[in-house]
Amino acid sequence: MNYYLRRLWQAVFTLVVVIALTFVLYRMMPGGPIEQMEQRMIDEAIGSGQDPDLQYIRRMVEIRTGIDPNKPMYIEFYEYMRDIILYQDFGESINSGDPVFDILFYAMPWSIFVSVYGLLIGFTANIVLGAVMAYYEGSRFDSGSTIVAVVLNSIPYYVGAVIMLAFLSFQWELFPTGGRYWAGTEPGFSIEFALGVLHHGALPIMSTILIGFGGTALSMRGNCIRVMGSNYLRVARLRGLSDSRIATRYVGRNAILPLYTGFMIGLAGIFGSSIIMEQIFTYPGVGWYTFDALNQRDYPLLMGILIFFSTVTVIGVLIADLTYGLIDPRASSNDREGF
Amino acid sequence: MSDSSLHSAGSVSKPDTIFEVENVSVSFDMNRGHSRVVDDVSVEIERDEIIGVVGESGSGKSMFAAALLDAVVEPGLLSGEITYYPEDGEPIDVLSLDDDELRRFRWEEVAMVDQGAMDSFNPTMSIEEHFRETILAHEANLEEGMDHARELLAELYLDPDRVFEAYPHELSGGMQQRTLIALSMVLKPNVIVMDEPTAALDLLMQRSITSLISQLRDKYGITVIFITHDLPLVAGLADRLGVMYAFDFVEFGPTYDVLKDAAHPYTRALLKAVPNTLTPLEDMRPIDGDSPDPVDVPRGCSYHPRCPLATQECIDSDPSFYEVHGDRERLSACHHWEDAAEAIPYSLSTEERV
Repeated sequence: MNYYLRRLWQAVFTLVVVIALTFVLYRMMPGGPIEQMEQRMIDEAIGSGQDPDLQYIRRMVEIRTGIDPNKPMYIEFYEYMRDIILYQDFGESINSGDPVFDILFYAMPWSIFVSVYGLLIGFTANIVLGAVMAYYEGSRFDSGSTIVAVVLNSIPYYVGAVIMLAFLSFQWELFPTGGRYWAGTEPGFSIEFALGVLHHGALPIMSTILIGFGGTALSMRGNCIRVMGSNYLRVARLRGLSDSRIATRYVGRNAILPLYTGFMIGLAGIFGSSIIMEQIFTYPGVGWYTFDALNQRDYPLLMGILIFFSTVTVIGVLIADLTYGLIDPRASSNDREGF
Repeated sequence: MSDSSLHSAGSVSKPDTIFEVENVSVSFDMNRGHSRVVDDVSVEIERDEIIGVVGESGSGKSMFAAALLDAVVEPGLLSGEITYYPEDGEPIDVLSLDDDELRRFRWEEVAMVDQGAMDSFNPTMSIEEHFRETILAHEANLEEGMDHARELLAELYLDPDRVFEAYPHELSGGMQQRTLIALSMVLKPNVIVMDEPTAALDLLMQRSITSLISQLRDKYGITVIFITHDLPLVAGLADRLGVMYAFDFVEFGPTYDVLKDAAHPYTRALLKAVPNTLTPLEDMRPIDGDSPDPVDVPRGCSYHPRCPLATQECIDSDPSFYEVHGDRERLSACHHWEDAAEAIPYSLSTEERV
């Protein structure tokens, strides 16, 4: 129990440190949001032939960004955190004026839909491929797949995404070139809507599968071969166990175990990669808004997205850590000594 | 080389033979040639005996053990004839069993305790599950089998309840070794092949395990083939010794006789190299030369390049077994066994005496 508490506390601590660091860095960034907005308003005033009233502009900027330059940073940070924790108030987007929480809340399901399916399908395909490669170790299929896996692993997913978009969408028109569902359908529990979502999500999901494809298959292959060469497998065969039991309970289980943590951490990597991927497919998820926010220096929105990404990562690692003991008895926390 | 089988090893015509091994070879095709790691071995193993198979590392002991269960790893080739005589029923030709028969033969008739007990269990499965799956795989009665397993564990001084619920890493090396012995006996086999079962354990644990093996043999009437490089260890355990050198047996005999007055120069040199408290350090000698390469075994007697007694005869012809002092149980594959005692003297410390 102690271990779980300690782990939880570590996770919270990590999260707070990450948020604090980014908060400070954004504030100190030259050409930050305040200067930028001030400059724009000065330009506008000059453009319309007026004399810029600096006093007035400062006040306007303060109201629109919610930043008071006279307040010390730690108080700002305290107030920012207080608003998040007590009121779930992440501030408002400078650009659109909408609450950051609402923007994220509407975008998130789409990103999670694409990421989780991409990760699950990709992971399953990799594991099956790796296991089959190990089974036919040294065969032509094995060496061929190894080359394919290395090549696929080396191609950046966004290159794959662009190629897929060019051929499957523009050239052959098999998939839509952007969007999340058909314009004519109402979001809701209808078959047309669901099919539209699948149709639009297919390419983003496929490009998500491409992220790190092959790498996991090669790890799985290596793990399988290691387990198959182990002494306990030899003893299991001598004991006359059936092939299916050896394949699942012995090879499968022991080979997948080391990949488990990687799977949970991969979740974070996939959210991160959605920034470019959603841009390519014009898929308005969290990544889409991240890119926008970066361009516009919409920093309350950026902070909100960052907190979202960090939280997902930290929770993923935390879950992996806490559950690993359940699936691998060797890592269980309450280590019993030999009796 | 094949004339060594003229006089089949251990061909004591006792009626109660459990394993008959004839001209068995294990070979591997390697890049640099044909490697024979068991070279035309013939031996008979008697029912309910503990036979110690002794030899240096790389002398083919483990391969010989694997051959008895037809479990030589790929791409090794096993040839020859191995016949198993069940207590009642027809003799079984082990090497012609089909997959399913072999699966039943292993563990139900002949079980094996491997070198690495620490690595013999699935790390993500409880010990109880290991016993259960073994019993179920052989379609034996689960309840009876588990009761028998508990009994065996208790006899090996383990607490069955606690061992059952433990995972392999929660047991010490000695406990894993004893658990593996219990697992090997859960289907009541008649023969257990033990390949260096105590190699990874400390001296005290080695002693306690050998004495447990001996107790189990007395209680359940099993035949034990105990393979080790540790001569003093088997001295107190085995009824009979077989000494292996260069992928074949060179000497057989009752343990006491072999230790007291070995009749093969290699056995004598080996005994001389075993450290003991009585021999002054300067009298202890490692055996000169290198152990032979399985791709290129010396012609004639394979020990001749290292043997002080070697003559032209030893190079020309591979010795078959000679009966030592006219004793049919004592066999030595040496042309000059009569001179061996004089040429290679050694002394044993009293504690090694049987």
